[in-house]
Amino acid sequence: MARVGLFDPCYLGALRPSDVAHARRVLEVLGDDVEVIDGRCCGQPAFNSGFRDQARTTGLEFLRAAKDYDVVVVTSGSCTGMIQHYLPGLFAGRKAEGAAKIAGRVQEFTAYVLAHPELNSVIFRLPGVVAYHDSCHFRRELRATQTAVDLLARVEELEVRRLTHEAECCGFGGTFSAKLPEVSGEMLDAKLSDIEATGARVVVSADFSCLAHIESGDRAAGGQLETWTIAELLARALG
Amino acid sequence: MSGYRERSAAEIREQRPSTTLTPIMRKLVDDSAAMLGRGPGDAKLRAAAARAYAVEHLEELHAQVREQFARRGIGYHRAATAEEAVAIMLRLLAGAKRVAKSKTMVGEEVGLTHALRSAGIDLLETDIGEYIVDIEGRGPSHITAPAIHLNRSRIQEMLNRTGAAMPDDDPVRLSRYVRDVVGTFFTDCDAGITGANAVVASGGRVVAVENEGNVALGGSHPRLHIAITGIEKVVADEAAALAVLEVLAPSATAQPLTSFSHFFATPAPGQERHVVFVDNGRSRILKDPRYAALLRCIRCGACMNGCPVYRAGGGLSYGSPYMGPIGAVLAPLLWPGERYADLPGASSLCGRCTELCPVGIPLHGMLLELRADAVAAKTMGSRKERAAWRAWALTFGGATRARMALAASRLAIRGAGRIAGTRAFPGTEHALPVFEVRRDPAALAGAPRAAEAPATAAETWPEERVALFRARAASLGVQVVDTHVWREGDRVVRASGAIASTGSVVLTGDAAARRPLLAAGRVVVTVDPGVVVQYPHELAGMLGDEDALILTGASRTADIEKIIVRGIHGSEELMVVMGR
Repeated sequence: MARVGLFDPCYLGALRPSDVAHARRVLEVLGDDVEVIDGRCCGQPAFNSGFRDQARTTGLEFLRAAKDYDVVVVTSGSCTGMIQHYLPGLFAGRKAEGAAKIAGRVQEFTAYVLAHPELNSVIFRLPGVVAYHDSCHFRRELRATQTAVDLLARVEELEVRRLTHEAECCGFGGTFSAKLPEVSGEMLDAKLSDIEATGARVVVSADFSCLAHIESGDRAAGGQLETWTIAELLARALG
Repeated sequence: MSGYRERSAAEIREQRPSTTLTPIMRKLVDDSAAMLGRGPGDAKLRAAAARAYAVEHLEELHAQVREQFARRGIGYHRAATAEEAVAIMLRLLAGAKRVAKSKTMVGEEVGLTHALRSAGIDLLETDIGEYIVDIEGRGPSHITAPAIHLNRSRIQEMLNRTGAAMPDDDPVRLSRYVRDVVGTFFTDCDAGITGANAVVASGGRVVAVENEGNVALGGSHPRLHIAITGIEKVVADEAAALAVLEVLAPSATAQPLTSFSHFFATPAPGQERHVVFVDNGRSRILKDPRYAALLRCIRCGACMNGCPVYRAGGGLSYGSPYMGPIGAVLAPLLWPGERYADLPGASSLCGRCTELCPVGIPLHGMLLELRADAVAAKTMGSRKERAAWRAWALTFGGATRARMALAASRLAIRGAGRIAGTRAFPGTEHALPVFEVRRDPAALAGAPRAAEAPATAAETWPEERVALFRARAASLGVQVVDTHVWREGDRVVRASGAIASTGSVVLTGDAAARRPLLAAGRVVVTVDPGVVVQYPHELAGMLGDEDALILTGASRTADIEKIIVRGIHGSEELMVVMGR
């Protein structure tokens, strides 16, 4: 039984507080001893905006909370990318080494579950159709697209429809969508058309940040799209 | 975030660039990948290595270039600044009244056209796309396809403004009109200015690629040929040059190679040839280990072809001679300060540019560095934003704060949203919506997929090298035969090499003489099957030491809506005769 720290990303805790319970349930069914790390931020929003000092300060609090766990599971591809690739580099000397050690114990939720030794003992079943949205960080920083596809393939009776233009960014990009809303809106329109063409009414992704952006655009257009995290989908597939 | 934001918002409001660009670019990116797939699997690694070596040995290679240029009698010039570049050009052009100019991004960068015209020179943009954009006056919107933002009816309208009297907007007719204007100018001008894609240090040859034939004409101008390019464009040897060519055309236009790949060598008797290498901030970039790799860039445009931000706002939104992801990194580095400080923000950091770059430039990583630099220099980020991020750091930290964090974090996200300037999401009252989670059991039912365009059938090609060469050449419109029946106007030359994967023929020495080639009614190239190699990089060592020219199909343009029009400068008839 691994002692797992389940990190609930800042925006996920704020915008979809019900999600961490789904992720927790999946891990507990797999036999993990789970504690939630919340109220922290990996520092990515400040980092992406160029505010590295504030990113360091913010990320340090995450590292402090994360350091005592055997493994820290993160329900976000983009946060995982930040922690693994950029956060240690914000520190110097021994602090950087320490940060790298902790970052080395951080895994993204989908990858963690797919590699879980107890995975075969659990049955996931969810009859239906979903569209899969591949977030940019998940795809390009973690190179984990196939991981998500493989994990979703284990959900019995679930049809997963890939997007025709899967490689194209949805236009969220964090503060980008706030700072360049016109450009972001064009990108969102293209993504929504792509999702609509699949015929699915549920779109699932490893990154809720994209999903929040997609859902808000869809609602503004009067749509009925539901956005699920992979954690929610797996939890529902547990029955 | 003023300049880019305002320009892109205006472009989206008035032109909606994505309507034009998205379908073109989606196809181009797919076709590029397929074309790169025809080449050797390690093509990108080899190109990256060639460019990285050059960047790391720049001055050593320049010393070699100087020696080789001296051997050949080619003038070597180095301009530290844009002003110096213009001054050198004017000095070299002294007395020239009519000057033909081919496409050069460095020329764009230093404001060459405007400067030469201000000095009283009658300068003609001889590249069809540049000619059109010159009339519009807003600048190129893409690094290889300058007029891609214009549709045929706008082009017709602009040509008619200059007295063209085009009866309709047929791209073939429009292209041929410009071709004729350009062709006439070439018959009576004093100099040809071109760019250069690479300068080979080991042999001192100037490499320039094109489709139309205006570089062939400008580069072979009987009196004066001047190439202007960046100091970083040197490459070590022919193998390095070929490694670049192997990825350049596929990444730029999804062609195997462009119609003409020139290796300009010793000037012809009576001709002067000069190369002006422009620094303009590049040596400063070279000194910063975070950005030095940027100088690997081969100006293919793959980054902007795949960039969703580029598609949404269009190339003119960047307000800089360089656009797209490369522009967002290069412009603030070449011109530091406020002017382009907001360009690194013109990105959602999706990373596609890095993924597509054939020479491995970590573009999105550089965007992140530039943002941090701009914040430190205070050319990006308001005082309010600074305070917001400080408040953010405070909210999300500390064991004692953890319990209050949930409500506080919602506030922080909303507050940050307001400070960053977001408007309410459409349809909601809040700065950021908190979605109630509604779940409809019927949502999983789904509907049938929308009908998709049928996938293009997978191509099958012969495996054997000579058969592959014949098939690829034929697919470019080349007539491949086993016997030649001479026709009036034929120019018959012997190939010293041929490339199977691209369907190209290689001409060296006298066979590469451009004027007779372009004047011919039909170009007939005899190819001994024994000289056919599989890939372009295998030509290293077969290109001799004189002028060389790789022909890949006949001359053409796709500058109007990406519609291919064949036979621009030079006949559209190219024939290959197989035999010894």
